[in-house]
Amino acid sequence: MIPSLLVSLKVLAADIPLLFFLGTSIGWILAKKNFRGKNLVYDLIILPIALPPSVVGLYLLMALGRIPYLKEANILFSFTAAVIAPLFPALPIMIQAAKSGFSSVDEKLEAAARTLGDSEFEVFRRVTFPLAKPYIIGGLALSSMRALGEFGVTLMIAGNIPGRTQTLPLFIYSSVESMSFFEANIAAILLTALGIASLLIVKRAGGKA
Amino acid sequence: MKDCLEATFFKRLGNFSLDVSLRLKEEIGVLFGPSGAGKSQTLKILAGIVKPDKGRISLMDRLLYDSSSSVFIRAAKRKIGLVFQELALFPHLTVLENVAYGLKGPNRWHLAKSWLDAMRLEGFYDRMPDQLSGGQRQRVALARALAPKPDLLLLDEPFSALEGPLRRALRRELKKLFERVKTPILYVTHDIEDVCSLANRVFIMRDGSIMADLEASKLWDPLSQANIWHSLGWGTLIRGEIAIDDGYHWFTWQKGRLRLSPSKELTAGKATVFIPPDQIKLIYPNLPVDHELQPNTQEGTIVEKMEINGSVRLYIFGADVEWHAEFSKDSYLTLNLREGHPILFSIQPSSITVLTDEECCSAN
Repeated sequence: MIPSLLVSLKVLAADIPLLFFLGTSIGWILAKKNFRGKNLVYDLIILPIALPPSVVGLYLLMALGRIPYLKEANILFSFTAAVIAPLFPALPIMIQAAKSGFSSVDEKLEAAARTLGDSEFEVFRRVTFPLAKPYIIGGLALSSMRALGEFGVTLMIAGNIPGRTQTLPLFIYSSVESMSFFEANIAAILLTALGIASLLIVKRAGGKA
Repeated sequence: MKDCLEATFFKRLGNFSLDVSLRLKEEIGVLFGPSGAGKSQTLKILAGIVKPDKGRISLMDRLLYDSSSSVFIRAAKRKIGLVFQELALFPHLTVLENVAYGLKGPNRWHLAKSWLDAMRLEGFYDRMPDQLSGGQRQRVALARALAPKPDLLLLDEPFSALEGPLRRALRRELKKLFERVKTPILYVTHDIEDVCSLANRVFIMRDGSIMADLEASKLWDPLSQANIWHSLGWGTLIRGEIAIDDGYHWFTWQKGRLRLSPSKELTAGKATVFIPPDQIKLIYPNLPVDHELQPNTQEGTIVEKMEINGSVRLYIFGADVEWHAEFSKDSYLTLNLREGHPILFSIQPSSITVLTDEECCSAN
């Protein structure tokens, strides 16, 4: 179980910063910028939530195995694949939360900051981000738990290789398959505790996600 | 005195367009007009929050916008303070942090404190904006906008949400503040009281453009009054003819007539008259009528009655005209002023404004 826990923690360590930066920047663009095809972009971003993970996984498997440049990168069934896989279901949650957060910031506050001499970046740093923070913390807690619990997409593109791509949810699956219920239960308790902890973070952030 | 602000611009906003031209010296200018006239949009364009389609804006000889040479200085660099109607205090920052927001350098906290002290907010440095009363929030917003020493201060109906006495106190404070800092102020309002108590200069705005630009001292001449009331869609305007009968000047229309003050300038012919709403006097049926009012007595029916800010507004229909009357709600207490009720009223000849056709166009 320990190797799987380590894989899960390493995946999380890589995914949390990715969720944060990609989620806040895409969420900000969707909340504050208007461009052609914005609704379509938004729908495509949200789509992985609506699709079964095995379907998303299959598409990724085809893309990573067949598109020339991606194929040469040898991502399939590597640790990198285990990092990428959870982003598909988790990132939309983060983007959605960041978008709600940034949309909730009154444009007049941003306009006031501009008239007081702030550049666009300063407006973001001093007004928009601090006011959207409860949503972002909430979104980060929920989306990183979604990433930690990811099963289907990971199985499809990263496989279930102990010590390399086997995360805790995959470990539970393998343990149950081999009738090792004790170990499966320990891993399940661990994941349950982490899930509750993340909900508490969401609650403390004001229930905004 | 030199012009501080010179602005001419055009902006299309859906099916509404803004076509504004105004000049402001080191003074308090009040931009006055009904809601939907484009007042707030005008402020946003001056502040650099909204970009106009074409035009030119300069402030203290600095060019801020010029469509012909593609100059557009963004809001952050304009040195224009703006106080929104909703104030837009930063809810996550303390009062002191709000006021220091636009300041830089090691002296910023000291400067912010001195602004708060000047606004009588000494004990409130560490409060959050939602812990303040309405009047205190107003003062914080003013201090925040003035602290970076802007070249122009724009105020968008800043006192509209406040109670009467507090509003009057804040107006007095604002006037004192102006005397001290001498920053030109453009103040947007639809409240005539703001105009009377604050303005050095009045811009009357309607349907996206400035209809009149006049010094406050000229505000009360009859023609300006006609313009102001009418720009608010309020006041009685009647089209008819001037006739001379029995040695008196009369204004007549199909269903009625009014005696005018004798004047050499009046000549017979087509004309329009304007009657300010506060000049319509109601008549008690059983009491003798003033001899000046007597010949102008009219009969009508109350169509609608409204109470606004301690005043009563009546729409009266009579002699084929809708008359607009307004008076303090403490007046005419014994008269029965219910909708549908008949009423007698009159107008002093001296308070009827006769507009020539040319003047009338600007009032319309």
